[in-house]
Amino acid sequence: MTDQPEPTSAAGAEPQPLLQATALTKHFRLGGMFAKQTLHAVDNVDLEIREREIVALVGESGSGKSTIARLLARIYTPTSGDIYYRGRPLSRLRSRKDMNWYRGEVPMVFQDPFSAFNPVHRISHGLMRNLALHRHDLHGAERRREAERVSESVGLSTRLLSRFPHEMSGGERQRVGFAQALAMRPKLILADEPVSMLDVSIRAGILNLMVELRDREDVSLLYITHDLASARYVADRVVVMYAGQIAESGPTETVLSDPKHPYTRLLLSAVVDPRDADPEFAADTGEPPRVINPGEGCRFRWRCPFAVEICDTVTPLPRTIGTSEVACHLAGEPAMQVADEA
Amino acid sequence: MPDALLDVNGLTIEYLTDAADVRAVEDVSFSVAPGEFLGIVGESGCGKSTMLFGIAQLLSPPGEVVAGQVIFRGKDMVRLSDGELRHMRWRDYSVVMQSAMNALNPMKSIGAQFKDALQAHERMSKAQVTERSAEVLELVGIDKAHLGSYPHQLSGGMRQRAMIAMALLFTPQLVMMDEPTSALDVVAQRSLMMKIRELQTQLGFAVIFVTHDMHVVRRYSDRMLVMYAGEIAEAAPTDQIFEHPQHPYSKGLIDAFPAVTGPRRTLVGIPGSPPDLAQPSNGCRFQPRCPVALDICADHKPELYDVDGAQVRCLLYTEAGELAEASQSGVASDD
Repeated sequence: MTDQPEPTSAAGAEPQPLLQATALTKHFRLGGMFAKQTLHAVDNVDLEIREREIVALVGESGSGKSTIARLLARIYTPTSGDIYYRGRPLSRLRSRKDMNWYRGEVPMVFQDPFSAFNPVHRISHGLMRNLALHRHDLHGAERRREAERVSESVGLSTRLLSRFPHEMSGGERQRVGFAQALAMRPKLILADEPVSMLDVSIRAGILNLMVELRDREDVSLLYITHDLASARYVADRVVVMYAGQIAESGPTETVLSDPKHPYTRLLLSAVVDPRDADPEFAADTGEPPRVINPGEGCRFRWRCPFAVEICDTVTPLPRTIGTSEVACHLAGEPAMQVADEA
Repeated sequence: MPDALLDVNGLTIEYLTDAADVRAVEDVSFSVAPGEFLGIVGESGCGKSTMLFGIAQLLSPPGEVVAGQVIFRGKDMVRLSDGELRHMRWRDYSVVMQSAMNALNPMKSIGAQFKDALQAHERMSKAQVTERSAEVLELVGIDKAHLGSYPHQLSGGMRQRAMIAMALLFTPQLVMMDEPTSALDVVAQRSLMMKIRELQTQLGFAVIFVTHDMHVVRRYSDRMLVMYAGEIAEAAPTDQIFEHPQHPYSKGLIDAFPAVTGPRRTLVGIPGSPPDLAQPSNGCRFQPRCPVALDICADHKPELYDVDGAQVRCLLYTEAGELAEASQSGVASDD
């Protein structure tokens, strides 16, 4: 899959994905001159997001999920690998105009609604500015009307437009984040943990909003989260990351009801009732993954109760099992089924 | 309750500011039995952490306990002097904070910090200190080699474990925890909670556990308090609240969470936001957000009523609520 030179939209083939990443890799150099180390934040990731699709990118801290969002948003440039937006490689977007266009098509909504807005400007300022920069088709009064339309479509009363960020609650601010993105007529919104800093009683509203945006505004979303339950609630597809690599991906219900990668099983067993949890994983203390000079071999092998010799030496590549893609040497093998039946 | 380990009576805490005195905790009463695991849930600003600090006597100005008692082992902690409290801390009760990175001293090794706490209370030889420190560290599942480690050298999960080890240096009867797992990933969180439960069974201390995470409370606590806007909204055994929540706010909180298993259903959450505690209303504090509010809820303040073994602050469980229900079912039967 990864050696495909450039995605094509040949007739008869699947429709071209909205966004496609191939062999996406981001390394960070650490240390000084003499103790060089490399942090493998993202390694060899293939990812596709189709039109009108919510993809949940799930992982724990250090899994590389936010790095992927930043790579897709062009905040970081990849160490290697390519990102194609509607078949066009992002590496060729160089001019300010091109970048501006891309950022309007693929905006980002941030985790912390308390620091994402300029405190000295009213809420309308950011919205109007996005409209002025990205919507040249609109004139003054039309922009005002459009600002009101997008606010209403994210469930914000238009009288809030004249407020300052500190006068709003966290949930309202997160809605402003989505309104600002929506003002640019996006095709894909990159949402990095948009509900994790909100109170539980208002999270449902933002999750519902993401589903509405897909159904009503035809927007795709990449929903980055550590919470499997909310991923199940909104997403069409789930991609589970571990230590910078994709462990498992597939349709949401399949991945969550029939997890095939031991890491997905571990994550699930941590969120269900302890009485129903996978006994294989009871002893795991949740130590963070090793991503500095990780070397060859499966990165989950240190924690995996099923690991065998090959896991030490060969990095597993994603394989298709049913409707899922699983990067595990043993997935689907009888060795892993035993625990299920026990 | 004569056999209670901790008895909180009418605890009221205010933040005294120039603009207004904000009553963050109002008239909270509950007790904790020896060996019990009490969960306290609520959203940000509901006063749960302030209350925990008020109980542990760790409030700093402008926060102040303005009324009420905290009876712990027969003494009212609110009235104890700093010296008397210092004598009790770590030894009789301990507190585990939300962020271990901030609660631990970054300049000292874990072992040195354990030593400080131990020597503050007892004359101990160097060998005894090392022995006890190694013992508690291994109790929480960390290799004793980490006594020489500094906080930044440990992972988030290990730091929280080290904090819990420190809280157990003297095996106190009460350990108060303020969101100790909320900064952790799910796997580390589960592992830490199982450890706390295991140690609690083994050593018999009581736990007051403050969190916003309903999942954690459901799985690990015996009894729980749901707090809203500085008051107890509902208090009952945990299973009872999850199976039959009585207060509309408890109901809303439980329904606000998606599940990883079972049928998918649409969540509603609780629209609106909590009230401004500087200007408390005369009625029920949850009324503006309540889906089943009655007319009288706007200007009648509910007390805590006993309803089927739970304490519930809601007018639906008074005569007014019964009347409303009767008239509603009357209307329904007319159709």
